[in-house]
Amino acid sequence: MAKKIILTDDVEIVPDGGEPLGDGEQQVVPISGEVPYEDEEGLKKEPRPAPGKRPSGSSIVDPVNRIEGHLRLDMVVENGFVTKSWVSGGLFRGMEIVLQNRKSADAAYIAQRICGVCPVSHAHSACIAAEKSYGANDSFYQALPTAARIIRNIIEGAQFLHSHILWFYNLAALDYVNPLNALSADIASTVALANAAGTTQADYAGLQRRLKAFADNGQLSIFSGNWFDAKDHDGRSAYKLPPELDLIATAHYLEALEMQAVASEISGIIGGKMPHIMSSLPGGTTFVPTSQNLDDILFRIERLQNWIRNTMIPDTLAIAGYYLAVEGGESDFFYGGNAGNYIAWGVFESPSFKPEERYLPGGVWSFKDSKYTKVQNWDETLITETTAYSFYDKNIDDGTPLNPRDGITAPLYKEEYALDDIRDHPKDGAPYTWDKAPRYDGLPFEAGALSRLLVAYNRGVPEIVEGVDGVLKALGVPGKLEVLNSTLGRTGARNVETLYVADKMREWVNELIEAIKGGDSSTFLEAKEHTGEGAGMWEAPRGALYHYMKVKDDVIDKYQIIIPTTWNISPRDQAGTQGPIETSLLGVPVEDLDKPIHALRAVHSFDPCVACAVHITEPKTGKKFSTVTNPWGVK
Amino acid sequence: MAHLAHYRQAHPLPFVITHWINLVSMILLILTGFYIHFPLFSGFMGVARGAHLFFAFVLVINMVFRVIAAFFVKSAPDGGTRKLDYDFKGFLPQKDNRHQFGAWIAYYLFFKKEHPLGGKYGVPQKLTYVAIPLLILLIAFTGFSLWAPTSVVGPFAAFNALVGSMMVTRIIHFFFMFVFIIFMLIHVYLANIEGLAPSKMMFAWKEHGGLVYDPELHNIVGEDDLED
Amino acid sequence: MTTKETCIESFDAVLEERGVSRRRFLQFCGALAVTLGLSEAMVPSIHEALAESVIGKADGNLMPVIWLELASCTGCTESLASAETPDVATIVLELLSLNYAETLSAGAGFSLEEAKEQTIEHGGYIVVVEGALMEGWNGNALKIANEKAVDIVRHCASNAAAIVCAGSCSVDGGWQAAVPNPGGATGIQAFLERSKADGSFTHDIPPIINIPSCPSNPEHIIAVLVDVLLIGRFPDLNQYGMPSAMFDQYVHDNCPRRGHFENGEFVYQFGSVEEAKGFCLYPMGCKGPQTKNNCPIVRWNRRVSWCVEAGAPCAGCATANPLKSGRNWVDTNAPFLKRFRSITIADIPFQPMVIGWGVTGVVAALIVIHGIGMKATGRTKGGADFEAERKWDKKHPDKALGPSVKALEASKKNAKPKAKAEKVEAEVASEETQEGGDE
Repeated sequence: MAKKIILTDDVEIVPDGGEPLGDGEQQVVPISGEVPYEDEEGLKKEPRPAPGKRPSGSSIVDPVNRIEGHLRLDMVVENGFVTKSWVSGGLFRGMEIVLQNRKSADAAYIAQRICGVCPVSHAHSACIAAEKSYGANDSFYQALPTAARIIRNIIEGAQFLHSHILWFYNLAALDYVNPLNALSADIASTVALANAAGTTQADYAGLQRRLKAFADNGQLSIFSGNWFDAKDHDGRSAYKLPPELDLIATAHYLEALEMQAVASEISGIIGGKMPHIMSSLPGGTTFVPTSQNLDDILFRIERLQNWIRNTMIPDTLAIAGYYLAVEGGESDFFYGGNAGNYIAWGVFESPSFKPEERYLPGGVWSFKDSKYTKVQNWDETLITETTAYSFYDKNIDDGTPLNPRDGITAPLYKEEYALDDIRDHPKDGAPYTWDKAPRYDGLPFEAGALSRLLVAYNRGVPEIVEGVDGVLKALGVPGKLEVLNSTLGRTGARNVETLYVADKMREWVNELIEAIKGGDSSTFLEAKEHTGEGAGMWEAPRGALYHYMKVKDDVIDKYQIIIPTTWNISPRDQAGTQGPIETSLLGVPVEDLDKPIHALRAVHSFDPCVACAVHITEPKTGKKFSTVTNPWGVK
Repeated sequence: MAHLAHYRQAHPLPFVITHWINLVSMILLILTGFYIHFPLFSGFMGVARGAHLFFAFVLVINMVFRVIAAFFVKSAPDGGTRKLDYDFKGFLPQKDNRHQFGAWIAYYLFFKKEHPLGGKYGVPQKLTYVAIPLLILLIAFTGFSLWAPTSVVGPFAAFNALVGSMMVTRIIHFFFMFVFIIFMLIHVYLANIEGLAPSKMMFAWKEHGGLVYDPELHNIVGEDDLED
Repeated sequence: MTTKETCIESFDAVLEERGVSRRRFLQFCGALAVTLGLSEAMVPSIHEALAESVIGKADGNLMPVIWLELASCTGCTESLASAETPDVATIVLELLSLNYAETLSAGAGFSLEEAKEQTIEHGGYIVVVEGALMEGWNGNALKIANEKAVDIVRHCASNAAAIVCAGSCSVDGGWQAAVPNPGGATGIQAFLERSKADGSFTHDIPPIINIPSCPSNPEHIIAVLVDVLLIGRFPDLNQYGMPSAMFDQYVHDNCPRRGHFENGEFVYQFGSVEEAKGFCLYPMGCKGPQTKNNCPIVRWNRRVSWCVEAGAPCAGCATANPLKSGRNWVDTNAPFLKRFRSITIADIPFQPMVIGWGVTGVVAALIVIHGIGMKATGRTKGGADFEAERKWDKKHPDKALGPSVKALEASKKNAKPKAKAEKVEAEVASEETQEGGDE
């Protein structure tokens, strides 16, 4: 039995025999039946289910590949569909603690080491937090020189392009594209297909020869342990592209490697190096625009713009179309929906310095929650975090939701939390992740490109409205915004955003040139006082990013970070409500318990960055960190 | 009130010259060192670094010459006499000031009223002067650990590795400078607080009358006004 | 878990399905008429290889690599993705067989872990480590596939031909090891040496190449790989196991702004005229003079720029000591925008200058006080009177130097027939007042 996707007025994902999921409600089915694993010669082997018989048992993906950091996916599969899910981050680093007692400006340099994909966002978030703490009522932040604001937007934009191109082609694409399959593509047909799809041509024959040499050698390199043999729930291959499109996509995979490097070159020109830029500091930027380096930047932006417009967008539609063009109008792409709450702090500062007027504006919006069906401005005080299911000391922190400014969390790992076997699930009520559970107004919210787009769409940003409407039309579901609450929606949203940002970057360079012509070339503002507190609420490519800093005489007294992926991979909160990724996994079909490809696609669509996600702060109780980190507990 | 007569034999001409060289190079090293550490104004770094390096070599070579000369040049190991012996003996323990370390400290802390009766150099003075060549060697060693052409040479590179990084070496080098500044302060003060005769001798090589000391009798035996 | 049989079976299934795929594709494109036969002949090797294992053939033209991501930001992988020549595609298709790389691998979960196991079992691979190893909470601070990273590192090292530590984190823990090192971060070399000493690692430690800086410069990693793969030799390493060609010279040595340093032309404030002129950033806290790296030469992001060229002082991110995580670049170089590291005494940070002048000031004050004492006791005019006999000699007459005081009295009379003590003293006094006046 296949799942049903009904593209009528309401999109509902109806798992076989299950209830429709909605309003954050989660479907929990107790584990039952036999786990179909047999121990044979020390190997656990899964017999292929007979037609009609759907697998049940535990489905684990650990580690999840092609993301940043270490993520574990843990699902209970009942009769072929996920009924229970846990996602967990397996790494603790402790950035906030390292930042304590350091100079406020150093945070911009150190904090961006959280993430090698979105360091620019972390640097800017840390800068804004410092700038807001330097003067009352954001006066210092709002006095930032125009040129500095624009330069920061350009480098931020370059990082968005880099991140999105890399994500789509080099991280997510291998879930849909099988480069080995491209070996049997016909070159003439490939050219014809590329023409039909409106995407750019490449040296297909050369690439095919290259792939053949690779295949003849026989070592699989990055294709080792691949899932290209993964099956759909109906027993057909989960990889649906014809060899010709595989060849086109593989050619563009290699081009994307080039283009993401070009995007990074822009960051490199402005920031000195990428990852981990050096130019953005509280007060502005150290980068001095000259006609020469502006030329270098402009040329690269134009190149990226052309490529995104002529290659990336057509490729997206071609691949998506193929995955949508299933007999009977059914698609695997509409899985991965969740409660449908979206949060964005906003990114790319506008001259007004108001979050709701940023080029990608901030706001809170929801498909379902009545309070937020009309887009609202965000309110920092409504953010809370809980550690009810996280590895933290319950003696210090009982899991009560707290605003990050009052955070009292203290990490503590106990051996009893460890799973005996990799296929085990966490015990009831037991902590299972280093990640905390952030909530806004008590609700789980999704952060990311889709959130930004939905907020911008509802705020009426013209290019975004046009882009989203265009994509929905191209996918054959015009006006059906709800469709975007899915794996497909998150993927498409990211690519619409990529084009928008590239176009804007071009405008910003012109704006910068005009500002310099007008004599406004100052790039740095020296702060007079260095005491206060402030929150840098910004966006990484992966979503809403929050850095909070309390500064006393230029020394960091308290630091707190909430990363976009923290919102998305959030564990259960004190009420047992699951976060966006965990919810998105419920109802996803699983054919092969060891290769749950749809679940993997759903997780990838969030572009999780788990390296970033795990964060803690010094306990408020006055206990020294060395005490709370003691494996034997607080003494 | 009394001091020993200052004869040229106490400080033969070669040592007056090395002393002059020490004075000039140390002051220039300190001034240029400060500038290198803290370039408050523009346009001087090349000169400062060049001078710093040049006078570092001057100081080290001068120190080596001074130490070697101490074994060949004769000077009076005691004040108030023209009787000569090898210069280095003045820096070694002498009969004239045995068991006097405590007496000197007590004298300078005003616990002892009378001036100790001793050789040309008091005990703490002698120890300090012996330490100076070692300090010059050490500061020069840290300096060469910082100078690009030598910092990669075995012992210097090993030193940087030992202390952690060049940054640490730099700070050690910087603190060494203060050791010299403090030495110079105390040295100038003690040399001149009881009269300027020592300075006149050291810089102008001008003799001065005073009490006469007999190195064989180990005591003051009279006085000399140098008028005859 | 994928076994040989299921692999072949499923791969065949993939091939079979192409017909169906083609039909759909026609449906999608609408206008195309395509006829072609599948050239099964083109894929025998890979087919055969898949039959062998999930990593294909264990040996071949490519050097097998396990890219181990520990406590990292993925920045070193990202950085490598910006490599210019060869580009990443060439690296993964024609130079290395990247059998395990969480960020790039097509596989995930069990099959990916199996790829790692098979690679280790066969041996002769290079382990590239990105990110610090976390030892906190008995190794629970970092777990991958329900296994502690400490165990993974030992396991991967056990059969490796060489280990390349890419980036400061894997060299010595990087920023994660910065005070107070909350997760117990450590470098790989130090960890393996400790494991060897305590018996938890019984194999020989493979040769380790440390490539610090945050992130690692892709040109560095590629230069090392090219050395090993194409030229067939190990690069010359310095005492820290870092390639000499890259890490034996200071950033300052090759800095294009070095001329301004020598001319004494400095930037004292961001956004100033001096900054626009591209003067030396030393007063802004540039750590180039004490950081060994060849950034000014290789530069970053396909050689478009580097930190100092972007107007930012070097943060010294390549500062690393593989055996001492406490010497990580953050602790060594922060605060980054101050020209010298503060020295912290009892939690109060000082600049070295402050301490130097402080001590000197105290000494100067003591000298002034002492001078007042000297003046008050009347010692400033020639000092106090000499003692008649040494104090120690007085107490130990049997061991006294020379003749007794009485004997001396007699000789003194003989020795000073010429002048009188009063006259000498008067002369001294007058000379001193004169000199004092000159000052």
